[in-house]
Amino acid sequence: MTMAPIEEAPAAGPPEPAQRVVDAALRCIARWGLAKTTLDDVAREAGYSRATVYRMFPGGKDGLVQAVAAEELRRFFAGLAVVLDGAGTLEELLVGGMTEAARRVQGHTALQFLLAHELGAVLPHVAFANKAGVFDAAGAFARPYLERWMAPEQAARAAEWVTRVLLSYVACPAEDVDMTDAESVRALVRTFVLPGLRRPAAVDSSL
Amino acid sequence: MADDVRERILQAAFACVARYGLAKTTVEDAARAAGLSRATVYRYFPGGRDQLVREVISWEAGRFFARLAAAVAGAPDLPALLEEALVFAHEAVESHEVLQKVLQTEPEVLLGQLTVDADRIVGLVKVFLLPSFEAVALPAGAGAATVADYVARMVLSLIESPGRWDLTDRDQVKDLVRTELLAPLSQV
Repeated sequence: MTMAPIEEAPAAGPPEPAQRVVDAALRCIARWGLAKTTLDDVAREAGYSRATVYRMFPGGKDGLVQAVAAEELRRFFAGLAVVLDGAGTLEELLVGGMTEAARRVQGHTALQFLLAHELGAVLPHVAFANKAGVFDAAGAFARPYLERWMAPEQAARAAEWVTRVLLSYVACPAEDVDMTDAESVRALVRTFVLPGLRRPAAVDSSL
Repeated sequence: MADDVRERILQAAFACVARYGLAKTTVEDAARAAGLSRATVYRYFPGGRDQLVREVISWEAGRFFARLAAAVAGAPDLPALLEEALVFAHEAVESHEVLQKVLQTEPEVLLGQLTVDADRIVGLVKVFLLPSFEAVALPAGAGAATVADYVARMVLSLIESPGRWDLTDRDQVKDLVRTELLAPLSQV
């Protein structure tokens, strides 16, 4: 199976100023974490004055962090879309999508720094009641792809289920499952996920 | 009895967390509530406040799963057990006042500790489910331990966040268990 590279291809020209600041902020977060990164650091890293950065992000550090998060989510889904667009079967879609998502999470140095040192900056946004937002975002993204193989209602259900599977094995790795390895994900998908999607009949209640 | 003292301190600390929250609970508070000296609390929790708070979270999580195990003990078969577990655990999470208060006001420490404990929690549920999966036909190439691990993860995911499922609705839970959770068994 072909995999889109984790790193984005370089843009044709120099990045737009706001983009340049977002990228600089990501490098700072990957190096020092979120709490210690200041707007001064980001301005210096981007090669702009503090005033210029403030003009671009009037919300200060909070506004910048939100812009960084939004941009990283956009890139995450854009990268995933490349893989999903090329999937010829439902199995390829699920295996390719889950593997790529796991690789992008594991290969994201800024996110990994936060998960290792500043869990509090990430977890409250994606746990318990707020996990609904993750399901919504993942569902909205994945549904159109899944609908190539199933009815809309089932696609919505499947999108959430696949997100659960992915989040569980990425957040708390199992000994015998490597979510960044396509063959490992394929075994998981074949054994556990596909049977629920090709649901010919309910499980025998005499189990 | 060392275990009794330890239990007494954790119980007292939990009461303090319920009253003051995680961040404001101190070793002094827990000692006072337990009727013990600060030195005694430190003997059991040499890491002081931070260790005490972490262990209180693990302790209450352990109690939660013990209550869950008791609630499903009478289930006649595997689907019924999973249904009962989802309904009971969902209700228990929703009505757990201390958990809900902490999630709203100071989720960082709690979620951090639950993440550290995640391996152990998945393991607990998996071990609990394992005998049920050893007793049924399994899909080719998957052992009972692998299937129990997967189902434990999905049960925990649903308890944490039900998503599109209404876990107070028995009919929906029945559907969820038979068509999603136990889907791997449907092809055997």
